[in-house]
Amino acid sequence: MKTSLSKKHDFDAVFDSQKVYRLVLEALSHPTKVVSIQEHANKLQGSNPAYLALAMTLLDNEVSFNTCENRQLSDEISSLTHATRTVVEEADFIFVSEAGDWVAVIEHAQCGSLANPHSSATVIVQNKQNSGAPLNQLTFRGPGIDARATVLVTQTVKEILELRDAQCYEYPQGIDLIFVSDEGALFAIPRLVSFDGASQADDSFSFPPFLQALRSLFEEPSKLKEVE
Amino acid sequence: MSKNYNYAFLDEGSKREIRRATLKAVAIPGYQVPFGSRELPIGRGWGTGGIQLTLSLIGPGDVLKVIDQGSDESVNAVNIKKFVGLCTDIETTTETPEATLIQSRHRIPEIPLKNGQILIFQVPLPEPLRIVEAREEVTKKMHAEKDYAPLWLQLYESLIRYKKVTLASEYPCLVEGRYMMNPSPIPRFDNPKLHKAECLYLFGAGREKKIYAVPPYTDVVSLAFDDVPFEIESFGGKHCRLCGSTDTYLDEVFDQQSGKRFHQCSDTSYCRKLSSQKAQNRE
Repeated sequence: MKTSLSKKHDFDAVFDSQKVYRLVLEALSHPTKVVSIQEHANKLQGSNPAYLALAMTLLDNEVSFNTCENRQLSDEISSLTHATRTVVEEADFIFVSEAGDWVAVIEHAQCGSLANPHSSATVIVQNKQNSGAPLNQLTFRGPGIDARATVLVTQTVKEILELRDAQCYEYPQGIDLIFVSDEGALFAIPRLVSFDGASQADDSFSFPPFLQALRSLFEEPSKLKEVE
Repeated sequence: MSKNYNYAFLDEGSKREIRRATLKAVAIPGYQVPFGSRELPIGRGWGTGGIQLTLSLIGPGDVLKVIDQGSDESVNAVNIKKFVGLCTDIETTTETPEATLIQSRHRIPEIPLKNGQILIFQVPLPEPLRIVEAREEVTKKMHAEKDYAPLWLQLYESLIRYKKVTLASEYPCLVEGRYMMNPSPIPRFDNPKLHKAECLYLFGAGREKKIYAVPPYTDVVSLAFDDVPFEIESFGGKHCRLCGSTDTYLDEVFDQQSGKRFHQCSDTSYCRKLSSQKAQNRE
């Protein structure tokens, strides 16, 4: 009897890994710059292809990881990379996919020591944009940014950065953050990049155009009659 | 491309480790991240750190330039280019603006590097404190405590003894106000090019097993006292014998037969381009 073997995914461990690595390097050396790993993530099957593409690029049996309570993602990463599963406090890479998990992760992730700051966690967070949710305008500064960069970020990103700052790490200790969306849009905020001027963005940013009319109805109920 | 080796020579596990170290190095500018330096078909001390960085970075679509003391044609540069070409099939160039990756021994090209370009240095001695402290565990502690007093003292002693700072190359600089960094044996002339540059600088020391980085737009300040500012080399009005440049780093060339001394640009690519432009203008 003949059996045929087929690959579960088309992600090339040599060439796709190299491309994803260069994109992550680009993002980390230019904080706030958004790069897309979608083309490569699409070659992977699984619950979160973008996470798997990053795992295939950076993880192997030399490092440890944690996925909070996401068992399916943990199994997929483990089978693809042979990296060691461990608790948040000891993980080299932490993948956060569920809203709310990031609080415990930021508070307990390893931040390295003054002598060995590289022994710190890289936290990878799923960046979800809920339609209609307000965006926040933050101004970033630090290495990799020409003077300053003002960008719009989701409420979750802002809260994660605020919690990161609340840990009061003594530089060079700290954690490095990578945000990635389901569509593979990725940006990074390394430990030395600071932000200020958190303010809610203009209405035009917070509501997609197709929701603007609906919003005006909620804010000014008198208009409801006009519609009727 | 040779089919007997993995793409870019190194196995994927080695590349991953170097990549992880490089990402940490970018996140902590100036900090020396330890890594497991691999064996290569050339001896340690001949640019293995730079080659490992290049091999971990390179992929289809990249254009590689390799220079040795500014020269595209020296033995070290030519052989590294051949080696990388054999195991990757990528395109090589001598033109600085065309390259996406530039591996360099001891120089930064005269043409300012742009956003998206990566300059990879071959570093023999990454530890700037080694000159004042031999023990690795102690220098690591000194970095942790930002204790750079012995280095300042060395600079001061140089001023007292010789009335000037006598460091010709490997002039230490402070990265983002935190880490003292050895910029590899580039001449002082090149130190200011590290400050707030558009490109990414990566430093690989294969023998010493360290990787460090300077991301774009990072503060890199050469060590100096308030009343004794940092100075680059002065060539005292001398110019390149080939292109006539007076604002580039010049090498002194001694002609044994005539006993004469000449000066010419260390960056051969820049010099050749300028010479051909001048020749065209004359025509």
